[in-house]
Amino acid sequence: MWDKLLAAHLSDRPAELKKAKENGVKIVGYFPGNYVPEEIIYASGAIPLCLMHGGNPRAADVALSVVPQIICPFARSQIGERLLKKNPYYNMIDMLVAPITCQHLKKVAEIWEYHRELDIFKLGIPQQYGNAFEVEYYTDRLKVLRDRLQAFTGNKITDESLSNSIELYNRMRELLRKISFIRRTSPSLLSALDFVKLNHACCYADPAFVVKALDSIYQELKHMQPTAENNAPRILLLGPNLGYGDYTVLELVQAAGGEIVIEEICEGVKYYWHDVENKGDLFHSLTKAYLVDRVPCAFMRNSAKKRLDFALKLIKDFNVSGVIWYELLCCETYDAEAYLFAQRMEENNIPMLVLESDYTTAATGQLKTRIEAFIEILKG
Amino acid sequence: MIELLKLCGFEEEEIKSELPRIEKSFNKLGINAEDIERGKQRLKKYYDIELKGLRKVLRLCVKELVNAVLVRDEGDDKKVIYGFMSPGIDLIFTALVSKSNKVFPISQSWVFQIVVGCIFGKIEPIMEEAEKKWLKAGLVAHCANIKTLVGSLTLGLFPKPDLLVTTGFLCEAAPKTLDLLHELYDIPVWFIDACKDRESWEYPEPTDRIASLTAKSLRRLVEKIQEVTGVEITDGMLSDVMDAKDKLGDALGRLRELVESSDPLPLSPSHENIWMCLNSLTLSMEGIAEATEAINTLYGELSQRVARGLGVVEKGAPRVLAILPAGQTDPRLEYLACEVGIAIVALDTNSEAPYKKRSKDPYMRFGLQLQQAPLDLTLTRRIPFIIEQCKKLNVDGVLDRYHAGCRSVVADALIIKEAVKKELGLPVLVMEWENFDPRVYDHEQFRRRLEVFKTMMRKTLPEH
Repeated sequence: MWDKLLAAHLSDRPAELKKAKENGVKIVGYFPGNYVPEEIIYASGAIPLCLMHGGNPRAADVALSVVPQIICPFARSQIGERLLKKNPYYNMIDMLVAPITCQHLKKVAEIWEYHRELDIFKLGIPQQYGNAFEVEYYTDRLKVLRDRLQAFTGNKITDESLSNSIELYNRMRELLRKISFIRRTSPSLLSALDFVKLNHACCYADPAFVVKALDSIYQELKHMQPTAENNAPRILLLGPNLGYGDYTVLELVQAAGGEIVIEEICEGVKYYWHDVENKGDLFHSLTKAYLVDRVPCAFMRNSAKKRLDFALKLIKDFNVSGVIWYELLCCETYDAEAYLFAQRMEENNIPMLVLESDYTTAATGQLKTRIEAFIEILKG
Repeated sequence: MIELLKLCGFEEEEIKSELPRIEKSFNKLGINAEDIERGKQRLKKYYDIELKGLRKVLRLCVKELVNAVLVRDEGDDKKVIYGFMSPGIDLIFTALVSKSNKVFPISQSWVFQIVVGCIFGKIEPIMEEAEKKWLKAGLVAHCANIKTLVGSLTLGLFPKPDLLVTTGFLCEAAPKTLDLLHELYDIPVWFIDACKDRESWEYPEPTDRIASLTAKSLRRLVEKIQEVTGVEITDGMLSDVMDAKDKLGDALGRLRELVESSDPLPLSPSHENIWMCLNSLTLSMEGIAEATEAINTLYGELSQRVARGLGVVEKGAPRVLAILPAGQTDPRLEYLACEVGIAIVALDTNSEAPYKKRSKDPYMRFGLQLQQAPLDLTLTRRIPFIIEQCKKLNVDGVLDRYHAGCRSVVADALIIKEAVKKELGLPVLVMEWENFDPRVYDHEQFRRRLEVFKTMMRKTLPEH
């Protein structure tokens, strides 16, 4: 039932946001990658929206009038969604918080800034965090973000409002984590497509509503028993990006008889493995959770080994028999890492398939053939 | 070989004493007799080797490459440190070599690209080697600068270093490459931290916030280098190096001003990559003085050329500002522009955006300066800076050959074109390009495009 309510909520969400805007509420967009603590935005009384539409070739194509094809299709989509003026979320934001992460998304923010399209805050992310001055840099930027949001919304962000916000988002992360753990059963009680859509809903839906929905779904799932064993190979999906709407690979794997049981994606899957400590200096807690304790994306220094170790842990915890590495064309850091991961997976006797997409439908046939062959191999 | 070395500014006596080492290093690099013949031809064709100042600079480049190749073969136990895509590391390296001969720090890719790429035209096998690893050819468009590093290291052309340093001032491909070199080949690596989060209202002055991150991170690097080498580097040493480097920078600036302001153009832009390399060489304090003297010599020689009205293109040729540095492994495109009759008078990367802030702390001084480098400016400042340069140089067009492998600059290309057209009405030729991969060079296609560009400039602009 809750999945239907959530779908209805998302369908009504643009109208709801429009109304909130008319009532003076600010809508603050931010780019994915899990380096922007939306808790701060929410505590300011603004509505946070994670801009992460992807998979639509039209949006990626239309951006070619602004940037060359070597910019990845997801980053181009962010430009394209604004140019097409059809996506309500992209056209209603009052401010953008742009985390300085990968070159591609960084450039999108720069281009929007250059065209003076909206108020932009660049959230500097030091690319390593082994030194106190690097950690402080990020914390300071978070505090500047707080000040900027206070001025922008006219609302003071108090310790109490921030703490309440952290509590809400911690609950969201906890529920996503619990639902994710339920997927360890065989066969999984929730398809990857359903889980990713649920995860993606967290980026656009009202957080309080989504927490209720997740709780209800979790209650329902935890009392369910897996059906009889199937022989679907259990797969880990790795890669840089899975945009809202970029579901082709998930659908093809499912159709081919495979089962993606866990995802490790930098941009496009809301990170839920760690909570934010809700006591003491809350900005310190946010820094710890969003920069230090988390699994770093590939643009961070010394990140390959940490992500690899985490992937191997997921493989063990989720009883995975194969890895699909899904990257977007022209994503140079993940493309480089794919080489290392493939070697290490081979050493661990885990078959790995590398797929690339530029969102064009022309590539789907080839993806399908390769996925089917891979799943046949996994089935033995 | 001897003729080649003479073309590169070596004197008889030095050739006699250094020849065995040079031959040994060239053998290691796979440079054979045929390559040396080609090298002589390319030097004569693409470079003004009759200029004594240029020959002096080429000599410094060849010497540095030879030393780098042989560093582990010559019996001593020097600590070897490589810098890659690390602006500012040359300052630390100069301080190191000025104090100790037990350390060999070098940003070897630059000299490797100039000597093996530009002079011998033999960089392709290195690219192909890297493409057998993770830097595959094709649509991903991995930067070929990185391919030269990976290819040369995995082929064993340079010894495994005790430390390999990079930063992410410009890109994250370089740090990712080091991340993999560490994981796959156990090479000790170090990263200078950086953050490009400058906001539009923070221009035109550099921000203390970003400079401070750079400064602190550089201090950590120096601590690490001290740990690896046992050599102490003081703030005073770095300040002295920066002062000396400023003099070299001033000499280069004077040279460039002469080139920019002369008609006909007195020197081909194919030399630009050599000046860039010169700035990155690991020179001792004496070496910096020698390099400065070489540039001053060149200035004198070019002044005479200008006084006699001589040039490499016809007088009145359309004047062009080129975006991004000259081809780093291949001088042909810049040379072709001259052949077609286009005067590339300057590169946008030659000058930094002006600023007033100063610091006595050498690390902060560098952190402030770095932010004003054209490629470190975000679009809101980079575009106006390019427009200012076009006006100052009174150019007739802009050649925007964007380095496709570099995500940091690639997205600016079309926006630069629109802005220059809109604000100045100048023609802009946008060319997809790879600054480090000679395989992209297509003589006929480039010639045709440059000829059309020249015609466009003639049509849109008037009386010079």
